[in-house]
Amino acid sequence: MTDHIVKSYENELKRLRALMTEMGGMVENQVEQAIQGVVQRDTAAAARAIDADPAVDAMEHEAEQFVIRMLALRQPMAQDLRQIVSSLKMTTDLERIGDYAANVAKRSVVLSQFSLSFPLSGLAQMARLVQENLKMVVDAIGDGDTDKALLVWRSDAPIDDLYNTIFRELITYMMEDPRNITPCTHLLFIAKNLERIGDHATNIAETIYYAVAGEPLTGARPKADSSSFTVVRPAGI
Amino acid sequence: MSTTTKFGDARPGIGAMSVRASAPLHEARISIRNLDFYYGANKALKGINLDFPAGQVTAMIGPSGCGKSTLLRVLNRMYDLYPGQRATGEVMMDGENIIAPGMDLNQLRSRIGMVFQKPTPFPMSIYDNIAFGVKLHETLNRAQMDERVEWSLTRAALWGEVKDRLTTSAMGLSGGQQQRLCIARTIAVRPEVILLDEPTSALDPISTLKIEELIDELKHDFTIAIVTHNMQQAARCADQVAFFYLGEMVEVAQAAQMFTAPKEKRTQEYITGRFG
Repeated sequence: MTDHIVKSYENELKRLRALMTEMGGMVENQVEQAIQGVVQRDTAAAARAIDADPAVDAMEHEAEQFVIRMLALRQPMAQDLRQIVSSLKMTTDLERIGDYAANVAKRSVVLSQFSLSFPLSGLAQMARLVQENLKMVVDAIGDGDTDKALLVWRSDAPIDDLYNTIFRELITYMMEDPRNITPCTHLLFIAKNLERIGDHATNIAETIYYAVAGEPLTGARPKADSSSFTVVRPAGI
Repeated sequence: MSTTTKFGDARPGIGAMSVRASAPLHEARISIRNLDFYYGANKALKGINLDFPAGQVTAMIGPSGCGKSTLLRVLNRMYDLYPGQRATGEVMMDGENIIAPGMDLNQLRSRIGMVFQKPTPFPMSIYDNIAFGVKLHETLNRAQMDERVEWSLTRAALWGEVKDRLTTSAMGLSGGQQQRLCIARTIAVRPEVILLDEPTSALDPISTLKIEELIDELKHDFTIAIVTHNMQQAARCADQVAFFYLGEMVEVAQAAQMFTAPKEKRTQEYITGRFG
């Protein structure tokens, strides 16, 4: 696409894209630190993830103000309009991802005080998939890459599958030994938070696709989270 | 095609003011097929195909010289006044090709009214500005004419502002009022189609909004075509938007589609300000 006739407008659009990638990078890093806190039982990393949250919130606020200003002053049309409105949506998703990361990190600090009698390999694998998706979607923001966005959109289901497995596993540990209840409850929330991070990455993928292609991603989102029905599935569902 | 839309209130005489043979809503009121237009040897419109749906506003946008105003001039055959200008193809309205020779131009121009960029009131009273055109087409007695003047000014959202000074000169009105007077004058002869050629480009933002509100009101009873350089205006007013470039119609779409996700690259570049 050729540049705008008005250079300052072009520069603002570039700045908006840069803000999005920067915020994406911050959140990606925050999630990485939080996961390190859980999987490596690294409380220093967890602390860094918690401390990063206000900066992410501030970034959301900055992006939001910037978008409102652009809408008012530039009255954008077509792909510019889509990019600007999509950025507003993406900041919300990124900020939520940051919140989940901070929550994972806080729980990992509690978790580090327990000695666990079971491995966290499932959770580690799930975390790796979530991180991969998040990284790819942040790249897609920067490049406006619909192929990457589609790839992320399609790879949320394996994360949901793993989440279901972990959910059952943790319930089993709790049944086996009541002393597992406290750490396993935190782990359940951690897994749920990771699953939600995956969902928000998928939201962002949908938003990028719309912003770039001009049409919404149609068809049902590939979903596989059935944990709500674990242990007892109501008849007829 | 037999639907007759009535407007005005229930008082005697007003009911008779009905739109002649309105097409059912959203059916094409005017259909342009393979229209070419020439200014001498210069081809200004190339193979245009476009429908103007009844009861809708169609906006034509595009850079200067793209042919959008030429298209309006074709629709009421204003080009006939100039030798060397000619149109070929079809502009169908009520089963007639209005660009064919033999068309009664006075009749045509009473069916297709036009409002110009600059307000063009006649140097006469407000009342006579409206009555002048009506007298050319109809013979009304004084009471009927009074009603027609009131009806037109009311429809043009000007009645309240001028009802106590109908006999004063129209030249004393503000620019926005003058433009609404021109719209009143156009609808006074009960046209089916109203052509607006950048009707607000000489007006302040509030007068502009009043005209836009008026367009929104009038579209229920008339088919409206508007040429505008103001993209936001097209977005605010139009149901359908057509983008013209170098004499060709590049794309036509519903306004929401056009301004959020146009299909053609040239349209995208134009409406986002990336042209050339």
